[in-house]
Formats: sequence, structure tokens, C-alpha cells
Amino acid sequence: MDAIRIPAPAELDALDDEHFRQVVRAFLHENYPDDLRNPPKRLHWDENRPWYMKLAERGWLCPGWPKEHEGLGLSPAKQIILTEEYERYGVARTNDHGIVMLGPLVIKYGTEEQKQRFLPKILTGEHIWCQGYSEPNAGSDLAALRTEAVLDGDEYVVNGQKIWTTLATDANWIFLLVRTDKQAKKQEGISFLLVDMKTPGITVRPIINLEMHDEFCEVFFDNVRVPKENLVGQLNKGWDMAKALLGFERIFLGSPRQSGYALSRLKILAERMGVWEDAEFQDRYARLRLEFEDLKALYGTFVERLKRGESLGPDVSMLKILQTELFQAITDTMLEIGGENAGLLEPMEGNRDLNIGGLFIQARPATIYGGSNEIQRNILSKNVLGLPG
Amino acid sequence: MSAALSGEDRAESIRMIRDSAAAVAPPGGDMKRVRDLRFQTPGFDPAILRQMGEMGWIGLRLPEASGGAGLGLGEACALAEELGGALVPEPLIPAMLTGSLLAAVGAGPLERVLTGESLVLTAWQERPDTLEVPGSPDAARRFLPMAAGAASFLLPVREGGRIALYEQQAGAGLTTEQTQDGGHLGTLEPNLGTATRIADDIGEALSLALDEAALLTSAYLLGGMDRAFAMTLDYLKTRQQFGKIIGTFQALQHKAADVKMQIALTRASIEAAAATLDAGATGDARRAVISRAKSRAASSSMLVTRECIQLHGGIGYTDQYDVGLYLRKAMVMANQYGSATLHRRRFMAVSPEVEE
Repeated sequence: MDAIRIPAPAELDALDDEHFRQVVRAFLHENYPDDLRNPPKRLHWDENRPWYMKLAERGWLCPGWPKEHEGLGLSPAKQIILTEEYERYGVARTNDHGIVMLGPLVIKYGTEEQKQRFLPKILTGEHIWCQGYSEPNAGSDLAALRTEAVLDGDEYVVNGQKIWTTLATDANWIFLLVRTDKQAKKQEGISFLLVDMKTPGITVRPIINLEMHDEFCEVFFDNVRVPKENLVGQLNKGWDMAKALLGFERIFLGSPRQSGYALSRLKILAERMGVWEDAEFQDRYARLRLEFEDLKALYGTFVERLKRGESLGPDVSMLKILQTELFQAITDTMLEIGGENAGLLEPMEGNRDLNIGGLFIQARPATIYGGSNEIQRNILSKNVLGLPG
Repeated sequence: MSAALSGEDRAESIRMIRDSAAAVAPPGGDMKRVRDLRFQTPGFDPAILRQMGEMGWIGLRLPEASGGAGLGLGEACALAEELGGALVPEPLIPAMLTGSLLAAVGAGPLERVLTGESLVLTAWQERPDTLEVPGSPDAARRFLPMAAGAASFLLPVREGGRIALYEQQAGAGLTTEQTQDGGHLGTLEPNLGTATRIADDIGEALSLALDEAALLTSAYLLGGMDRAFAMTLDYLKTRQQFGKIIGTFQALQHKAADVKMQIALTRASIEAAAATLDAGATGDARRAVISRAKSRAASSSMLVTRECIQLHGGIGYTDQYDVGLYLRKAMVMANQYGSATLHRRRFMAVSPEVEE
């Protein structure tokens, strides 16, 4: 593994796929901190910072950005390989909203001035971004959002509330979808606004979730004054821009990796509980295994499409539904065979591989976030099967 | 050989075989022929079987030196899928199984089998839901599809540590039972005294041929569930109740989405299995992917066709409406060459650990 030379960032996209995979493995082996592999919870900035800065220093921070903006300029196929290898190695997700969401949006829709002002600060870690989309009354129906921005002189005045804002306590900037036209059809009165979180009138309040973790926050805006040059793209076109940004990355919501991790822990648990050889358990396990294998095969067909240069259609929703429901089914089974240990707050016997309740709870939000599975089924019905209404 | 085809050439080859399937399974064709053959003897049209032979389908998988077309499982599955969509009753899969066996041993009535001139059935099965071949010399051979139309039967017979192959001409010793799809299954009493011994060690060839038949059966079921679902979607888009198109009801939409996902998983599973075998997998690797595909196809074909009946409501419960034909076919074929349970069990026995 150490024998593999890691080429300069600009050369990575030209490698053939298998060579690239080996390079990513070597890179992780060489650079990723061992104690951060497979963390049981989403890490905060103080924990993520060293890895973020290491990526920045090596020029690996922004795989999808074009090279002219100091990205790796990787094709979708290569980005998938990179993600697969990160997942396989158990690399923690960093505070990546600037890298994954805001950066590509500014690159696509921002002015030259906005690019100069914002992109370099993502690369240096000076700006840590969070995403202000959902609101208490705009969850699955996101376009119903009501946080408004009213122009007053050279500034927008923002009032309203965002919720489920991931890692907002770590962030110093937030990108918002705001209502700028209350008369228009709901999707057509929304704009995209960048806000410095130090601006007076912003309050951030963490929400403790079922994992007893403060990953999500509420963010309140009370007469927050934002310079009008912080609007990205055209006024009232924010919805279209946010939608256009939902590219091939949607495939990652359906990556079978979480289920693979859970399945192998289910086996460890079954052996520990003495039910592995049990015929009834074997049949249940076999069903889960087969779901997993076929999901991997289906996932593979979508990856192939990307490798051929095709874009993904709405049928990618299938992967998200199947993966998240399988993840839950596996952890349901863990709960069932774990006996009283299932109710423990900490991993059984202090062993992270026997984290029954923890994994079960981690599996819960997967069917809710990223467009709930009910929304995904609506998408399938209407946009794939062509059912009316 | 075909296994070495590049991705693009293979896709083209598969597209061609799908097009050629239209000769027997015309797209948009009605079910009149299928219905006319139901509950008749022999339950299929021998002329169509000969046509399949002429088109090279029975020997699709065999090397050109054996009189075959030298194509891969990718192509064979695509063909089976097209035929399943049209519920074609001719016993192509059993004929292909016999062809593989005879080509492997280089003996017996291979030519008549490949031309479709004769239906020769391999009478390997002694009990339900198995892939094992005990080869008992005197045990009745069971579950022979379309046996009334067979000219002869091949009987695997255990001799010491090996399994020999005998050919027994049709005639005495055959009884049949009708099946839900309008076909029938035969039971044959062996009469080795009158049979001809044609090969002396077919164990490995037979287990390979049974595996391939299991995969082709999966593909046939896939074609059926896909078509039944297409009919169901049409119905959901036209039928009105409560003054609305019923396809606007979310309860039905989500059921339809679930059916779609089952079909997608089945297709992915079958295509992965075919690609794995075409890339040269053998032994446990072969058995694992085939068992995956067959257990998936067996359970999803039942789930999908059941839901299609339910989504149709009362009309789906009539024999006159075609969607029921797909349910009845699935009832017959889901368990052929191993049920979902059998294949789940076999998968667990042969598959490697989860790759995280």
C-alpha cells in the first residue's frame, strides 16, 4: 500500500479508475486519523478540523470543484470511487456544506466577485457553512417556506426561522432559501441568500435528537440585515437553482454501505447472543443478506449509468428507499435478538460492534431526511411511473 | 466467445436477441394463442418449438461446434424475459437444459433437440423443491413440464459414484396433472430395461444445466411481472372511482412504487448473475449469484402478480382479464428449479461473508 505514489491533485482525474482507487486508499492510509474511523456520531468542527485542514493542505478538499477553483475536477464516476473508498475506510463526514452545496452553487450561479469572495475561504476553512432550507412548517413541502427577505435600501431584512440546520453551532456562514415574493406561486418567490452568522439578530439553538446528540439546530432571524450583494443568482430563482444542484450526489443517499456495516454487526451480535446457528435467525439473516446484495447490484447499475456519462433520473429515488428501509430492517432485527441489552444507552459490554440501541436509533432519520421515503415514493409514482395527480 | 464481448457489444447483442423474440412474442400481441392452448394437450404448439429451434434459441448457449449460437447468459436471460412477458407456453427452458446436457456429453439426440424437431425432457427430479439428483434407478421422475408433448426423456441414473444418462422413449409409464397456467406436469415411471444408455458421467454437466435453467426461469418470471405491472399501470391511469382516476390515490401510488422497486431489484439481481457467469464464475460463486437471482425472482414474481390483482380490484379476479394469467404462471414457475426458501438456504451455504 505504501508503495503507491500519490500524484499531484491536478493529475488525479486522468488516472484510470482502478489506479485512482488504489491512490485514494493509500491517501487515506497515510493521512486519515485512526481514532476517527467509523465514529458513532456525526462529528463537530473541533473534531473534524484537523482532517479538514489536512485535506485542504493536500488539495483534496473539493473533489467535485473544477480545477480552476482549486478543486480536483473529478468526473462523477471518480467522485463515486472516492466516496466508496472514504465509506469503506470509515471516514467521518466533515462540515461539508460549503464544499458540497454552497461552492458548486456559487461556481454555477455566482458573480465573479462572489466567487473571489467566498470560494477561497471554504478552501482555507475560514468559512464553515450550514444550510438553511427547512422550516417548522416547510419540511417535506419545502417550497412552503416563509422566512422572508425584504429589500430596504441596500440591504435585505430577514425574518423567520429555520430548523434541522445541521451543525449550525459550528458554522459561521449560512446559505438560505428565503421568500422574496409573497404574491408569486410558491416556488417562484424564493431567492438564495448568504448570511454571516455574526450578524445581529441571529440566534442558534441546538436540538437534542434521539441519539442524544446536538447535530441539528434551530436558527432564528429577527430583523437580520444582509447586504444585497449577498444574493446569489437572480431574484426569485432560488428554488430552481437549489433544485438544479441536486445532481448525481443523490446516489449517495442510496449507498448500500450503511446496510453493509449494520449487517456485519448483526452477525457479530447474533454470534454473541448465541442465535447465529438458529434456523429461524438464519432465514431472517439470509433475507437481509439477499436484500443487501441485490441493492448493491441495483446501486451498481446506477453507477454504471454515471460512468457512461448519463445523468440520473428520478428513479434514483428507489435506491434511497431501499437502502434506508433495509438499514432499519437490519437494526430492527438487532433489537429483537439483543434481549434486554437492546435497551442499553451505551454499547453492550462497552464494545462498539455491539451498539444495538445506538445503531437502531441512527437508522431512524434515514427514512426522513433527504426527502422522506413517502416523498420518494411520490416521486417514483409521478415521475417514473407516470401516475396522475 | 461471447463471454469476452465488451459492454457495448454485449448490449447490442442483447438488443438483437430481444428484437428477434418478437417472432414468437410480438410486442403488444394479445393472449389469444396462449389462451387457446390452455388446458389442451400437449399445451404448446410444436411448430413454434421448431421455429425456436430454427432461430437458434434452443442452442443459444451452446458453442458453435455443438451446433449452438455461442451466446452468453446475458442474451439467454433477455430472451427468456421477452418470452415470459408474452407467457409463451413452449417449453424452451427445459429444451435448453436438455440441449446443454447432451452437448456436454457429446451424445444422444442433440440435433433433434436443437432443431426443435423433438421435445426431449430431462427427467431428473424425484421430489418437490430440490436441485439434487439422487438418480434412483426405479424412482418415479416427477414435475416434467409439458411431458405429454415429449418424444423421449433423459434419465440420470446413479451408478456407483457417478451419474449415467439413459434415454427412455415416450409411451408407457407417463401420467400428467394439469397446472394453474393451463399446462401440465408429468410423472414418469422409469423403465431402464427398454432405455438406451447414452453417457456415463453427467453429474457436473447436469448441475450446471440446472443452475442455468434456474436463472432462465428467473428471467422468464421477470418478463411476466414486468408486463403484468405495465397492464396494471395502464389500469391505474384510466379507471375512475369517486370521480377520480384511481392512480391519483396515494395508497395505490405507493403500492405501485413498491412493486416497481421489486421489479428493479429482480432485474439487477438477474443481470448481475448473468454477467457474473458470463465472466466465467464457477463453483460456489456461480451458485451464490444464481440462488440470489432465483430467490428474488420467485418471491418478487408472487408479490408483484398478487399486487397487480389487488390493484385491479374485481376485474383482476376474472379469468377473462389477462392479468390473472401472469399470477397463474408465477404460481407454476416460482418454485421450479428451487423455491425462494431453497435458494436462500443455498445462498447462505455457499456465499462468502458480507463485504462491507
